Amino acid sequence: MLRSTDPSRPASMDELLDSTLIAKISRLDLTSRKIFAGKLKGERRSKKRGESVEFADHRPYVSGDDLRHIDWNIFGRLDRLFLKLFLEEEDLSLHIVIDASESMDCGEPSKFLYAQRFAMALGYVGLVNLNRVAVTAVGGMVETGRSDASPAQAGLASASKDNDADTERREVSDSSLHTIRDLRGRRRTQDLARFLCSLRPAGATDFGDQARRLALARRGRGVMVVVSDFFMKEGYEDGLRLLVGRGYDLFAVQCLSPQEVEPDIGGDLRLVDVEDGDRAEVTISAPLLKKYRKNLAAYCDGLRNFCARREITALTVQTDTPVDVLLLDYLRRRGLVR
Amino acid sequence: MPGGRMTFATPMLAIIAAAIAVPALVILYFLKLRRRSVEISSTLLWKKAIQDLQANAPFQRLRKNILLLLQLLALAAALLAVAQPEKKTAETTGTRHVLLIDRSASMAARDGNGGLSRLDAAKKDAVKLIDSLDEGDIFGADAHEAMVIAFDTTARVVQGFTSDKARLREAVESIEQTDAPGSIREAFQLARAHRPRPAGEPSGDPEPDADVFAGIVPPQTFHLFTDGRLADLDSFSPTSRDSVIYHTAGDPKTTNIGIVGLRAERGYEQPEHVTVFVGVQNTAPEPRSVEVELLIDGVPSAVRDVSIPGAETREGVVESGGENGVRAELRPEPGRGGLVFEMDMSRGAIATVRVHTDDAFATDDEGVLVIPPATKTSVAVVTSGNLYLAEALAGLPLATLDTLTPEEFKAALEDGRADRYDVVVLDGILPPNTSPGRALGPGRWLILGAVPGGSEGLIDRGEAGMTRFVDWKRNHPVLRDLTLEPVRIGVGRRIEIGENSVAVPLAETTAGPGIVEMLTPESRAIAVLFDVAESNWPFDVSFVVFLASAIDYLDTVSGAEGGARSVRPGEVISTRLPARASAVRLVSPDGDSHALTTTPDGRVTWGPVRRAGLYTLRWRGDTGPLDVSDGGEAVRPIASNLLDAFESDIAPESEVALASRIVSSSSRESMGVRRYWRWLLLGSLLVMMLEWYVYNRKVRL
Repeated sequence: MLRSTDPSRPASMDELLDSTLIAKISRLDLTSRKIFAGKLKGERRSKKRGESVEFADHRPYVSGDDLRHIDWNIFGRLDRLFLKLFLEEEDLSLHIVIDASESMDCGEPSKFLYAQRFAMALGYVGLVNLNRVAVTAVGGMVETGRSDASPAQAGLASASKDNDADTERREVSDSSLHTIRDLRGRRRTQDLARFLCSLRPAGATDFGDQARRLALARRGRGVMVVVSDFFMKEGYEDGLRLLVGRGYDLFAVQCLSPQEVEPDIGGDLRLVDVEDGDRAEVTISAPLLKKYRKNLAAYCDGLRNFCARREITALTVQTDTPVDVLLLDYLRRRGLVR
Repeated sequence: MPGGRMTFATPMLAIIAAAIAVPALVILYFLKLRRRSVEISSTLLWKKAIQDLQANAPFQRLRKNILLLLQLLALAAALLAVAQPEKKTAETTGTRHVLLIDRSASMAARDGNGGLSRLDAAKKDAVKLIDSLDEGDIFGADAHEAMVIAFDTTARVVQGFTSDKARLREAVESIEQTDAPGSIREAFQLARAHRPRPAGEPSGDPEPDADVFAGIVPPQTFHLFTDGRLADLDSFSPTSRDSVIYHTAGDPKTTNIGIVGLRAERGYEQPEHVTVFVGVQNTAPEPRSVEVELLIDGVPSAVRDVSIPGAETREGVVESGGENGVRAELRPEPGRGGLVFEMDMSRGAIATVRVHTDDAFATDDEGVLVIPPATKTSVAVVTSGNLYLAEALAGLPLATLDTLTPEEFKAALEDGRADRYDVVVLDGILPPNTSPGRALGPGRWLILGAVPGGSEGLIDRGEAGMTRFVDWKRNHPVLRDLTLEPVRIGVGRRIEIGENSVAVPLAETTAGPGIVEMLTPESRAIAVLFDVAESNWPFDVSFVVFLASAIDYLDTVSGAEGGARSVRPGEVISTRLPARASAVRLVSPDGDSHALTTTPDGRVTWGPVRRAGLYTLRWRGDTGPLDVSDGGEAVRPIASNLLDAFESDIAPESEVALASRIVSSSSRESMGVRRYWRWLLLGSLLVMMLEWYVYNRKVRL
């Protein structure tokens, strides 16, 4: 709940993703309740009929069809030309949206660090399964002055090598949206880690606005995981509505620090909002704490209800929950990974 | 009035202070509360929670805030202190208190808790009262002042008006028991004399009318610490604005058996035959039988049983002064009994009479009596020639009878030879006057045909012509068994008894008193005011009987009223020593020796006597006719006995009837004014400390 006094910023991938976690999550693969069209051949079944080995259907031959796909056995039996259709296997787009507003830089363990670790782990799962992975930090800033090849730049550079048309737009660093996208393959894990390590929480989020921009800049459908505390004064509803309206299979992971769930402050306090400096003068008393807890529960319920009505999978997690538990248990049950 | 109501001395002030302070505190609380800034992830939920709470109850914040509550509590205590709550447990007026503490004999009765004497109990109460006196309030209002007067027969200001409680306490503690009978008159006069007077008013005004000064003289509160056994309570006349609080001492059920009369007589014809009369009084309702022991010079000589009837409950209605008017129940009349010891003893002796009883009051259980040696009376007749007088006296059994002319008598007085005479009969002249204002000089006088003047004497309005006796005191020792009816007085005198006169009429003529008795501390006289020669009295047998009785009465030195050889506690020992007595000292019953100086005419005075018992005057020089010689020193014993039936009836009064009102005893547990502001301020301080503690405990993370 309080701003972390000594925020430990991860500097390398090892700090975000240790080997035991890698061992645990290596077996996982991303999944989606929806089937999306991919861009490249991947390991995911696509709606498209394609060139995989998995049979899908037959259809009558029309002129112009590829003769290679004619089912000659049927032609032999029925003397009619049928095309044999196969399922296309494509990649799955995974888009992780991290709330990098200052409010995430609170709590013990820090919510932002937790979000980073979670994004790293999930991204790793995505990358090793040949999916396209994109990470967007909403709000916050990217530390660039550390070296010539900043992580973001490196990720950008490495990403641009094997990708196509929108190389130059792959790393969008306007005022509050920092994105690394189109990462694919195990080799990109370092890029992902560098990007994540370069993020610094700052400022406030205008989640609705950012979500609109994200939605407009959508590149292909896929799974989107929003990691935030969802403490947004202007409300999270518009943003989520926009995102889900663009056809994403949306997951909302709400990170809360243990101190937010169970405040351990007392006395006459002036509570200052780290994002907008808003003040609330409170005198901590048992009824007030009771009210706070009730409000928090109602808030989380509100988020869950909102998401449930829109086929968004919502999940509230405390930052003292290990990331592997989150992945292997919570998210597996909710169908993000398998 | 037990369980007095709590009132406030300055309620308006407190209300005004509260009207300012309470809103100020609350406003300050909201405005000036020092809050620690704490950065948190989002105020979203908190704001909502606060809004919710405030929506639920606007004053939730106040109510649930223990700090503010404690501050309000501390403030409330302080404001209450400003209001100065006080509990008037007894009606008091003014800020001046007069503590009248009775130290008379009956206050020695040990009927308090744990054998505490009444005086000790009264002193404890008085100290309690002093402790509860107002020390002035926080705004410098007058502290209550008190003065302490101790009284028995006489009164003394132990401590003048002061608000210094330590001195008052010390004064109260310094009061010592005496064996004197109680009398409040002098105490009240002292208290009145110390009362502040309006400027310009002569301080010597003997009787400031109560209500004339009501508006000018501040009222005061009299605290009477006594058992109520005061015979002259009706001389206590506080103004109508004064309060009187009666702090009773003692247990109303206390009974007592004591000696109330003690007297030794030698036979007139046989002086060696001594009769000791002992009067005993019982205040218990049931008859009692006690042993009475007689000791001669400390050696037990006789023991007698005496039965005393129980006290009789009298019923009736009596008019008692004050607003209550009529009071129905009377005090039981104590039972009286007496016994007589008889013996033959020609020497002088000290007789001690002891009543064996274990009652609470010990003072009257023992009496001392000086039995003079058996002597016959020496009488001098001072006359310019009076045959019938000489003839009448010659028939009496006297030791010596000298006839002197006035000139010879004057010479005898000057060289001290006159001391040899027990009684001097003055025919038509007055005794020499040694001190101005006194009617008589020291000595025992039988005056015939002269009128003692002066302020203590009588007013002679001239001749009255033929007159006769109309009334006389038939039970007086001098006139006992006499009939004066046949006496015709040729030339009577119009006599008036002045206001300050010590004369008590024994026989009244149609023109005024005919025979008076005059008792002063130093002299004792019977005066026949008309000229006996101008009447037929010398020819009546009653004249001889009168002379004999009068000389015997005047000469009686042993006995309760026996002049200088006996003195009641509270009175002054005043006796005349032979000429050239030196190194005079008085040994009191407790063994203390007091050096005395003699006046030029050989008189010594000491006192007032505080304790009963045997006092002994010792000096170097000649012994008087009744003195004894002991190791080269002359010794004159003087007995001091309470012998007061009123004082021995020790059951305390539940109410005292003053001149203008009846005051009931106040409850012992609660008296005076209790002010609580100190406790409230202390409470306020404690609450503030608690608040600080809570504050420091709360503000931590």
